[in-house]
Amino acid sequence: MILSNPPELAWIWAGVAVYAVATLLAVTGWPKVSVRERLLLGLLGLGLVLFAVAIGVRWERIGHGPFINLFEVLASNLFSLGLVFSLAYWLLPVIRPSATVALPVILLPGLWLLAVNPTDSHLPPTYDTPWLWVHIMTGKIFLGFCLVALGIAGAILLRRADFVRSFRVMPNDKTLDQMAWRFMGVALIFQSLMLIAGAVWAQDAWGRYWSWDPIEAWAFLTWLAVAAAQHLRTTFRVPPWVGATMILGIFVLAFLTFFGVPFISMAPHKGAI
Amino acid sequence: MTSTVRLLASTRLTLLGIALLALGALLSYNKPEAPLWLLVAPLSWLAVNLTGALFVNPRLRRDGGLLVFHLALLGMILLVGAGRLMRYDGRVEISEGSMFSANEAEALRQGPWHPFRLDQVHFAQGPFSIEYANGLNRGITRSHVFVPGSDGQRIAAVIGDSTPLLLQGYRFYTTSNKGYAPLITWTPAGGRPASGTLNMPSYPQYEWMQESHWTPPGGSELKFKLHLKTGYSPNSDWVLDGKSEQTSLTIISGNSHFDLKPGDTATLPNGSLRFDELRSWMGYSIYYDPTLPWLFVVAVTGVAGLGWYYWRNPAKQQFAAAAIPSNTRSISL
Repeated sequence: MILSNPPELAWIWAGVAVYAVATLLAVTGWPKVSVRERLLLGLLGLGLVLFAVAIGVRWERIGHGPFINLFEVLASNLFSLGLVFSLAYWLLPVIRPSATVALPVILLPGLWLLAVNPTDSHLPPTYDTPWLWVHIMTGKIFLGFCLVALGIAGAILLRRADFVRSFRVMPNDKTLDQMAWRFMGVALIFQSLMLIAGAVWAQDAWGRYWSWDPIEAWAFLTWLAVAAAQHLRTTFRVPPWVGATMILGIFVLAFLTFFGVPFISMAPHKGAI
Repeated sequence: MTSTVRLLASTRLTLLGIALLALGALLSYNKPEAPLWLLVAPLSWLAVNLTGALFVNPRLRRDGGLLVFHLALLGMILLVGAGRLMRYDGRVEISEGSMFSANEAEALRQGPWHPFRLDQVHFAQGPFSIEYANGLNRGITRSHVFVPGSDGQRIAAVIGDSTPLLLQGYRFYTTSNKGYAPLITWTPAGGRPASGTLNMPSYPQYEWMQESHWTPPGGSELKFKLHLKTGYSPNSDWVLDGKSEQTSLTIISGNSHFDLKPGDTATLPNGSLRFDELRSWMGYSIYYDPTLPWLFVVAVTGVAGLGWYYWRNPAKQQFAAAAIPSNTRSISL
């Protein structure tokens, strides 16, 4: 069944609107810090609830989770990115000013989602495996940790220009750099688990654990980029702004691997349909 | 000696190896014909580099988590290499009611150390069913197979999609390649009858072209067209189960046409040909790589090592060192 205006769309619109308001507050720095932080956390929580409802409504309607088409992948990542960043924002007050960087990045797939056809998808039988869940969950946590690192990296880079006042209250660059790379380190753990779970799934589903299809290749290149950046940091003791730039590059690579490659490439990675 | 090892273990060379591996991956992706050395050369280099680092880098040896992670990386490179040398990658079509035959399997890739045991694989193909949703979206595949048990009994199994048949280390995966196979019996003039199946093109992919040809011994080529009524519909749910409500097989021999129903016989210049019944065939991909379970264990151990490393080097000190400014108070919820 194809609906031009499926019921989950209203929840999606509401969720994106809430994220947009949160982003506006984070970017403008209004109102005063204590109120803004509470407001921001509340808005992020509300956005998460709205996206959870949207995903749940669609899941109930079409009978499977948000795993297949661009609409579903964007919607589920709006939830997962929002969740990981909200937890970091709540538990680590020191990184809260980085919302100025992280929230516009989360909003980006939100705005993209509004332009994507919400067409219903078919779940191939090869997706009916617990490995799919492990693969997708670990992938989302990886991207979430990358986002937190990107927020901190963005603060390091942007405060060189000194036009975002809230960054001034953050710890010094060296400390921020160490924090950002700790998040990247944990991201590497989840990315490795994502690749392992994906390989097990691929072996069961298509009879090969690795075949250099575009998404596999770009996911591996992202893993190599994280590994290379970690070695670059320790070998050359690069200044924090270089480390921050590398995190920016890794995030762009990961973002394109998640949202670009699977939907541009015509090569199969989505099961033989 | 030590200085040579130190040179080999340099992290600068690690970076070079990673860059070359990235380049190899870029040049290899989506190109099965890409030369293997594009990946083997940088991986070999990284393995040498890492082995050297394990000897001379005190940080790697000191920290158990990092050591386990890097040893696992080395182990994975070796296991992937061993897997390539021992692997078998092939395909086969088996018609319903037939036994698997290693002679009919087509090897696509085979490592030089592959211990060929495919001839020790025995199973019979039973019927199969595949569910299709509206729009010809393929659903669940259930392929029934029968494996000889030790007591002479046949053990029935249902395989398909994410469940391969595992025999003698070989994994048999159902594929989207499957179709119909008329069983025919050829009786040459004055000779003994011989039966066999004609595997028609994949169905429903080539629903419009169910044609094949065969040349009987000492005769001229025969063309076959299979006419089916399977309920196939691209716009509704449907199950492909190898059955057909109405079936006929057209045989074209020179200028002669014969339309046969199951059980009918056509008399041809050099003998007779009977259309016995309609069967189906299933295409399998075959994969052998004994390193797979080890690869999984080593990979997971490596990630556990990395987790251990971050766990043992807690962020607490780092985050505590970050002076939390007075205007970023914690939020009570």
